[in-house]
Amino acid sequence: MRIELKKFGTTLISRQNGREAFAALQSQIAALAENENLEIEFDGVITFSPSWGDEFLSPLVKQYGSRLILIDTGNPSVKATLELLEKINQVPFTR
Amino acid sequence: MSEKDLLTISEAAEILGVSIDTLRRWDKSGKLNPAKISDSGYRLYDRIQIELFLNDLFGLAKDWVLKSIEIPATFYCSNSAEFQTRLIRMQSILEGKKELAPIFTLVVAVAGEIGNNSFDHNLGNWPDTPGIFFAYDAQKKKIILADRGLGIFTTLKRVKPGLNSDEEALKVAFTEIISGRSPENRGNGLKFVSKIAAENPIGLLFQTGNAELILAKESTALNIRPSPKPFRGCLALITF
Repeated sequence: MRIELKKFGTTLISRQNGREAFAALQSQIAALAENENLEIEFDGVITFSPSWGDEFLSPLVKQYGSRLILIDTGNPSVKATLELLEKINQVPFTR
Repeated sequence: MSEKDLLTISEAAEILGVSIDTLRRWDKSGKLNPAKISDSGYRLYDRIQIELFLNDLFGLAKDWVLKSIEIPATFYCSNSAEFQTRLIRMQSILEGKKELAPIFTLVVAVAGEIGNNSFDHNLGNWPDTPGIFFAYDAQKKKIILADRGLGIFTTLKRVKPGLNSDEEALKVAFTEIISGRSPENRGNGLKFVSKIAAENPIGLLFQTGNAELILAKESTALNIRPSPKPFRGCLALITF
């Protein structure tokens, strides 16, 4: 299953919005099959910050581990945020 | 100065986003005096003087955190949704500047983390005025953020009771990654800011309590020292 982050907005910066996005995602990923990967697509995101990312991606990586696949576009704020979240969670993302 | 460059007190108040009474108070205190008094005794302001006053963004923010002066409405965000809207507007402006293409998204993320930090850490606990000061000058490449909240030391002490000073709190806030912090799942945004400043041409001056931190552009050096004028809350100047 592929999730396009731009559908949650192109400036993803606050914890509050990250939490709301995570809650909204739940109804979509309910249909995820047992061994299916969850792909997160960053295309179209302009600004991405650790507060938003921590609320959205950290619980997903804890739940899905290597089945969570991040499709990075080379956006500098996405890159820097993912690096920090890896340090915080002490778990590397699968890209 | 020609007559057309002169503004009435109500025109000046409108441009500045403050009340006429505030301008009268600023005149009495010497903060902002009119350029001249008309023959009928009315205060008249020079348009350039008003523009210069608005341009001193850091001075305005500093006066707000130190003395709680009234600030132009255009620089005040009472809640995080308002901040998000204005941040997106700034993002569009910076995105339009070719020379900023490699870093504008990082600049927005840094401003977003600092501004949201103010809201996240003070929600329900604002000592007086809630919300933040947020202003930027895309030409001079600077962003100013400030809050009249509890400050880094007080908010960080909740999860790190061993902290003893503003300087120590600043060091922890900008360097120490706190994993799985419970029950407060927050507080790593400023580490992001120091990482970005170390790797990019983005600098920061950050004051809180009686301490200040300077992050030079593209440097990992963390310069923390006593600040000249202590205050509660936070004041940040981002340069890029």
